[in-house]
Amino acid sequence: MTLEELRDRMRAARIEIPEHRLELVRRLLTDALQPIHALDSRAVRTLEPAVTFDAERGRDDHGR
Amino acid sequence: MAAEDLSYATIRELSSRLRRGDLSPVELTRATLERIERLDPQLHAFVTVTADRALADAKAAEAALARGGHASPLLGIPVAYKDIYATRGILTTGGSALLADWVPDADATCVMRLQRAGAVMLGKLITHEFAFGIQFPGHRFPAAKNPWDLDRMPGGSSSGSGAALAAGLAFGALGSDTGGSIRGPASFCGIAGLKPTYGRCSRAGVLTLSWSLDHTGPMARTVEDCAYLLEALAGWDPTDPASSREPVGDYVTPLGRGVRGLRVGVPREFFFEGIDVEVEKAFEQALAMLRQLGASVQDVQIPSIQAAGANMVIMLSEAFAYHEHDLRMHPERFGEILRERLLAGGLITASEYVQAQRLRARLRGEMADVLHTVDVLATPTSPKPAPTFTAVYDPEYGFPRGNTSPFNLTGLPALAVPCGFSSSGLPLSIQITGRPFDEATVLRVGHTYEQATDWHTRHPKV
Repeated sequence: MTLEELRDRMRAARIEIPEHRLELVRRLLTDALQPIHALDSRAVRTLEPAVTFDAERGRDDHGR
Repeated sequence: MAAEDLSYATIRELSSRLRRGDLSPVELTRATLERIERLDPQLHAFVTVTADRALADAKAAEAALARGGHASPLLGIPVAYKDIYATRGILTTGGSALLADWVPDADATCVMRLQRAGAVMLGKLITHEFAFGIQFPGHRFPAAKNPWDLDRMPGGSSSGSGAALAAGLAFGALGSDTGGSIRGPASFCGIAGLKPTYGRCSRAGVLTLSWSLDHTGPMARTVEDCAYLLEALAGWDPTDPASSREPVGDYVTPLGRGVRGLRVGVPREFFFEGIDVEVEKAFEQALAMLRQLGASVQDVQIPSIQAAGANMVIMLSEAFAYHEHDLRMHPERFGEILRERLLAGGLITASEYVQAQRLRARLRGEMADVLHTVDVLATPTSPKPAPTFTAVYDPEYGFPRGNTSPFNLTGLPALAVPCGFSSSGLPLSIQITGRPFDEATVLRVGHTYEQATDWHTRHPKV
């Protein structure tokens, strides 16, 4: 993520971050988003958004 | 038993002495309160010491012991709670100026369960601000210090819980863990800490950081003590939407069964990146000990493990959603570092959040596959020992990559156990992770290793 992209996102979200802290936030987001941007989304199966383990199924399939 | 030994006694030892009558809960509580009064001014583990409440609880425990028939091993045991657990009538700050005066009108479920088991409430333990920030110099609440080296952090966010246990200021504590906040402090402070399976212990009445990643759990000086605490904590809670109805097992009895025949998997990718040489050496020695105790150890592959970074995307997004109103209305009441981390969450797109959840599903599936072939996973808990405050306060210090967050993403039970010391005398730790709701095996492996070593018997000079 470039600083310019970070500023674009800040404008869109109506969020202000002091200029001298932008590089730190940019680094935090770049690191966090790296695996997301590397994802080929077509290769991942459908999923549920929350982690829950079904009591009945849990013993056999380890929570899937 | 000398006063110092009493401070580091285990729950089993204390429970036995309390039942025999050669120690009373009131004596034990007074001795612990005196130690807190003497040592906490330099450690800052406690935000609030509830001395009157502790003595009242101790007297009630004494009466219950005199009556007989109370089976709980926690009866009369002094414990303390991370200050994000609501406590009825007692200040609950979340380590934040925003809640500096909040007095809840109900106990968190975990607090209620430990109190019902007869535990004595010593007070509230400092947490990193809203379990995510850091108390920088000048913060309303001073940061807890690591009893092994006061210039170093005790880890976080359950910083006070780790510091108090390492210094012998409590016999059990509650922590919470969204990316490693139970296991990190356990690792840096040389104690045991268990993040149970997601849904095993209630989050009701605990301040939220990230709904789908937050876990509550016990911290103590031994694995067995964690097991005692877990037995009181675990179980369905209708007031927590994520709470599981999975039956609660016996966590203490199986501890003595050893590890002969158990299969330990070691995922080498990701967990050894940037690792300290001394951490790696201590970890390999721990594996050798597990082999010697009869376990088989093999390397395993988790193909999508690099996707573990998705934990941060989910945590930032959910934390922003939780705090957005206060961030926009009262930004000045958040510490600078926490405010920026939370605001960063507001810059993540909906698509990125959803993709992070999809990566999470893939990682869960792969870990489930691996846990068909081995009984537990073992990794170093932290790649490095505790950092100095000077390092962490440097504006260039980034958010450290940890070995704990993959198991928040997957919800699996994970335990931190001491496995050695660095040459500079700092604790090192091994992390044992198991199948969903198989805390019994995780604790059994940790306990067997712990009892074959003496790391847990060493204490800092405070």
